[in-house]
Amino acid sequence: MAFYAVYIVEAHPTDIWQMKSNIKDNILFANPKTDEERAFVAGACVRKLGIKFPAVIDGIDNHTEVAYTGWPDRLYLIDRDGKVVYKSKPGPFGFKPDQLGEAIKKLNLVEAAR
Amino acid sequence: MQIYYSPGVAIRNKLSKLLMRKPGKRTLSVLVIVLLLLWGGFLVFIGWAMRQPPEKFGRVMMHMPMPAFFLFPFETMWTQARAGSVQPGDAAPDFRLPTQDHQAEVELSSLRGKPVVLVFGSYT
Repeated sequence: MAFYAVYIVEAHPTDIWQMKSNIKDNILFANPKTDEERAFVAGACVRKLGIKFPAVIDGIDNHTEVAYTGWPDRLYLIDRDGKVVYKSKPGPFGFKPDQLGEAIKKLNLVEAAR
Repeated sequence: MQIYYSPGVAIRNKLSKLLMRKPGKRTLSVLVIVLLLLWGGFLVFIGWAMRQPPEKFGRVMMHMPMPAFFLFPFETMWTQARAGSVQPGDAAPDFRLPTQDHQAEVELSSLRGKPVVLVFGSYT
């Protein structure tokens, strides 16, 4: 199974709807306006959050986010035929890794029975 | 003895009487209808904002005082507004994106043959 973090448009940058929790944690980034700026913030995100699996960066036109309605955060599980088998509700309320874990278990059972 | 009132005093007295008067049923009904219309308009506006691109939505929400968040069912409306078009059973939209270290590109369709987990998110 392959895991990918898809880095998308920032949720609470300093210039748009900044959160007090981000000020407290010193996570202060303005909204990236170019691919280079986005790559810079994505790098900080991967390093500081200690993301262990590969990360890809959405284009500054947000085309992947739009296709998946991924903002502000969301989980997907895709089977080996390229079909969506699990899609979480939109974050932050719907971002539930436990549900993804259950979906992975079910998919593994289906795959094993094939 | 004759008492003279200035126009300012007369208006103030009238206002005081109006404010002190017990509101009638009609006044209350009008007030309730106005409040409902305002609330409905607010819900429509928030629903519209939730369907806008993230940056536009953020620019609306950044001006909203915290108490206003208790005036509408945020989670329910958010879940509906952000439902998206891709549903379980659908083919996952293909993409080709650079890795964070810019050493390679990942094309989703090239990963066929094994399950894939996608974790969408950002830093803030």
